[in-house]
Amino acid sequence: MRFWQLFIRSLKETCRDVLALSFVLAFPLLFMLVLGISFGDSSPSYTIGVVDNDGSQVSQGFVDEAISMVPAFEVEMLDDAEDALEALKQGDLSVYIVLPEGFGQQVSYVLQGADGNIELDITYDESDLQVSGQVISTIDTVTRTFAGVEIPVTINANPINIETEVTSVDFIGPGIIIFGLLIMIPTSGRLMLRDKESRFLYRMLTTPARPWEFIAGYSLSMVLIAIIQIVIFMLLGWLFGMDIIGSIWLAFAIFLLTAICSIGIGMVVASLSKSENQGESLSWLFSMPLAILSGVWFSSEFMPSYIRTFADIFPFSHAVDAARTIITRGAGFEAVTGDFFFLCGWAAVVFTIGTLLFARTMRS
Amino acid sequence: MTAEDPRLDREPDDSFAIQTFGLRKQFGELVAVDSINLDIKKGELFAFLGPNGAGKTTTISMLCCLLKPTGGTARIMGYDINREPYRVKEVIGVSPQDTTLSEHLSSRENLNLVGRLHGIDPKKLKTWSQLMLQTMGLADRAKEQVRRFSGGMKRRLNIAMALIHNPDIIFLDEPTLGLDPQARRAVWSYIARLKGEKTILLTTHYMEEADFLADRIGIIDEGKIVALGTALDLKTGMIDTHTMVVQAWNLTQKLIIEMRERYAKIDISNGTMTITDKKIDFREIVDRLHDANVSIRSAYIKEPTLEDVFINITGKELRE
Repeated sequence: MRFWQLFIRSLKETCRDVLALSFVLAFPLLFMLVLGISFGDSSPSYTIGVVDNDGSQVSQGFVDEAISMVPAFEVEMLDDAEDALEALKQGDLSVYIVLPEGFGQQVSYVLQGADGNIELDITYDESDLQVSGQVISTIDTVTRTFAGVEIPVTINANPINIETEVTSVDFIGPGIIIFGLLIMIPTSGRLMLRDKESRFLYRMLTTPARPWEFIAGYSLSMVLIAIIQIVIFMLLGWLFGMDIIGSIWLAFAIFLLTAICSIGIGMVVASLSKSENQGESLSWLFSMPLAILSGVWFSSEFMPSYIRTFADIFPFSHAVDAARTIITRGAGFEAVTGDFFFLCGWAAVVFTIGTLLFARTMRS
Repeated sequence: MTAEDPRLDREPDDSFAIQTFGLRKQFGELVAVDSINLDIKKGELFAFLGPNGAGKTTTISMLCCLLKPTGGTARIMGYDINREPYRVKEVIGVSPQDTTLSEHLSSRENLNLVGRLHGIDPKKLKTWSQLMLQTMGLADRAKEQVRRFSGGMKRRLNIAMALIHNPDIIFLDEPTLGLDPQARRAVWSYIARLKGEKTILLTTHYMEEADFLADRIGIIDEGKIVALGTALDLKTGMIDTHTMVVQAWNLTQKLIIEMRERYAKIDISNGTMTITDKKIDFREIVDRLHDANVSIRSAYIKEPTLEDVFINITGKELRE
């Protein structure tokens, strides 16, 4: 039980270092609070133009029961795309959607379980970052919810209640939580790097403790902190209006697995680095682009396919997708099985690599 | 190299706690430890004496299984450092050169951590840590986080952490580095108490520390052991000259010239004459000075120190 002693020591050292603990806990919380306040308030309003070239009951239902249900959206029906483009140029619209002919039929096919996807033409001013980031992501989520299409494109056999109001916070909440857990990469390796710099680790390495016991000792204390963080994140999300339609435990499990992956990456980085500065620089360099690519703020569906493929190598895009599927569409375990086991596998692999690297640096 | 070392072919010798066989460490072009062969008996206090960068800490790091040797090997209580590192770690206690403590833990918690990692029973450990804290004069600050401790207190705890699990071999790497003379004496007395009970390998660059504590001394320079023996052996065996120091009021130039003709080396500094030669006759020198009407304030024969030995061995002649 040497790992237990190392875990207790890591926990005490982290919890008694008020500054370090504040950073570990408060930084992501602060981030979430700021984003929560920014997106949780339904005050921002976007005028969405809709050109319904399909004219079916389904397309009408999509406008009335999906797009119009987003509190931040004000829908304006337009006759044709030219009028819509003019209105967009005049700044009267934030974005306009063209529902193509056959839209209703396509949705019906998808709902009946056939392979396929929904096609929407969305036109927007690309210089308007808020629209490109938030509005389009929300339209994407709303459309997929309406048609019961998973991300990436797969068929949901159980169509989700289309009366559900998908708010900005429902979309962005899981992403922010994943981001909060992703930034555990720099924080989780900090104690090991401090021990390296102060050479306390080298004293510990003269004891019979094995590499995996060190990794377990350092990681467990961070897992405990991650659990506390996830609970606070979910409570904050709830306070800001994030509705968890699916299983709260399944969402928690996805978040916990994400945290474990982040901690594992932190252990790899800490094993490779010689100092706290080196480790932190490496971690931030790695985690910030990964956060963007993984779609924690903006849907990755709008990114080029090679970037999505690259992002999918890492656990966070899977975590975001799984969390959104559970939280906004109420899907069960069967809908996120792939992502769940991907995260489990990733955690196992990254901890194995971390332990091997630690063992290598133990005796150079 | 080591394969040719006949000692390696034999079964581990029970009387030795530490044996090195052509132990070598090279960092790029730099040879930090150059094929050291050493036998340290159980219960012996052995001191590695040498300047900074001589290879003392690198040697200890290899013996503690923190550094992989580039060549050769060593046996610690019969366990090979390359093949059985975890067995080695079970029988050693290490006090590193830097005071390495878990700063937000109390002194008792630091001791308990090391003890538990060595598998000591918690009840036994409670008694041992109390005893250790008392011995080191830290009992009244047992519950305080060590980040608030003075340098001397941290140094004592650093040593206590090497002893808490009752190891067979203790490595003390520069145990009094940076301490004031009073604190240094206190640490010496703790170490002296362990003599005979434990095998201790101590590194130091303080000559008097090695002289005061060690049963045997290995002088290490540029990664090589250049002299080995007891302090007395080294002083008598390695120094073939004697020195007399005379403090006098009125040394004349004429007398100094005469003395320089008579003795091998005469140094004059602030009214102090230092006479060095293979043979020194105290009476004869005093009489000579009296005859020259010199008023002598004090005169004594200076015993050779390890410093003299060190300078004698690692001086220019040797390095050139």
